[in-house]
Amino acid sequence: MKKMIFLFAFFVFTAYVSAQFTKNYKLSAGIVSQKTQKLYWENGVGADYTSDFLLQKRIHLKAAFVTSRLGSAMGSNAIKQETFVVGADWRFRPTRPFQIFTGLNTGFFKANYEDPMFDMLPNSSVLAQFEGGVAYHFNWPVSLFASFGYNFLSGNGKQGPGTLFPVFYQLKAYYTIK
Amino acid sequence: MKIRKYFLFLLAVLFSTCAKTPEIDNAAMLDGDQIFDLSLTHPEDYLISAKYPNPNEIQKNTPVIIAAHGYSASTFEWDELREFADRQGTFFVSQVLLGGHWKTYADFKKAAWQDWQLPIVNEYNKLSELGYKKIYVIGSSTGCPLIINMVKSGIFHQGVKPKGIFLIDPIVISSNKTLTLVSALGPVLGFTTTELSDGEKGHWYVYRPYQSLSQLMQLIDLTRKDLEKDITLPEGTFMKTYKSTVDDSADPVSAVLIYKGMATSGGAKTEVEMVSSKLHVFTRLKGRDGVTQADRDLQSRVFAEIEGRVTK
Repeated sequence: MKKMIFLFAFFVFTAYVSAQFTKNYKLSAGIVSQKTQKLYWENGVGADYTSDFLLQKRIHLKAAFVTSRLGSAMGSNAIKQETFVVGADWRFRPTRPFQIFTGLNTGFFKANYEDPMFDMLPNSSVLAQFEGGVAYHFNWPVSLFASFGYNFLSGNGKQGPGTLFPVFYQLKAYYTIK
Repeated sequence: MKIRKYFLFLLAVLFSTCAKTPEIDNAAMLDGDQIFDLSLTHPEDYLISAKYPNPNEIQKNTPVIIAAHGYSASTFEWDELREFADRQGTFFVSQVLLGGHWKTYADFKKAAWQDWQLPIVNEYNKLSELGYKKIYVIGSSTGCPLIINMVKSGIFHQGVKPKGIFLIDPIVISSNKTLTLVSALGPVLGFTTTELSDGEKGHWYVYRPYQSLSQLMQLIDLTRKDLEKDITLPEGTFMKTYKSTVDDSADPVSAVLIYKGMATSGGAKTEVEMVSSKLHVFTRLKGRDGVTQADRDLQSRVFAEIEGRVTK
């Protein structure tokens, strides 16, 4: 019986949250370009979601995927690596075209060293990032973002992938879907 | 007005940290003006070009390995290989002192990475001109990107082509990722300090000025970018890289970049061996604390392999 009550409460809560999330929401998606300080260019895609439920669009939820395969490793010997992050930003001036944001991300990093000889080296890691930057929302459904980020976990020769560096910069161009 | 005061205070703090110079113990530190690398005063004990400036045919046909040490180190780093070579009597080791790594902290501070490289180039050119026929090159740590740059720049095409290149714990990616921020943090920090064991004192710089760390960053960044394209060895030259799997100075991923980026003149991959060691430059055991039997065995095995390759 207790289980049933819990499941019912969970169902009602989920339904309520998803209704609120989708009420007057804003969803954007587009391309992400990332440059790591003293390392690679990595490019990919990302999305950004907010709604009135998220403190009147002050909180934005986001996800991004970038890979060096679409950057420095294209036609070169650079290491092929992927980064997937999800995170949340806090927006200052959420109703203005020009906004400042800061947030935290988590996610996963994986590098491909290609030869089995290097299998003993760490090549993947969980990510913990700080990110802060600026966003500009045009009158037409396009937004541009420029940010600076810091990886709290990076490779140090003993643990962590060697090409997971601390500081990175991102440029994003998103189209507003709704 | 208040903001202006804070700004002036911040500027004062910044300037005071920029002006920071380390306290150097001249009597005990390589950074000072009393302790020098002995190769400066007795080059004939270190450089084969100075020891045998008029080589006979036997000497000309004896393999000679030019040994380049790492950043902030000295010829000490290759003493054990030279001692091994002396015992075996089958090959020579020419220990080069990197440029800027002599005399004082001030010399070290103002030297560019090209200055570090110059003595390796000079010794190679001299040996080549003197008629040595079997020239090899070995580098440890920062010595390796300096040698890779010589390959990339075509310097080894000028004289007798080296028969082989050995890289020991090459640095292309630093384990300490803060180095990537040296241009921003350097002027504030001024310098960093290295902990040395008693046996290492007087053979390594204790203080690393940010200008010099910045040069190191420039060198390894350039090497990484060069390796992203292809670097081809001179015809008939082999290369073998040995890399510790755990290394708090040169990230082991450096070996991956070298493996991917360097090829023989025939287009084949160069040799790489990942060795089970936690030591940076595992071939140097002298002066270290806590050396194990496994470390000694590894050093002996690699020295024997080097001898085998150069005397083959």
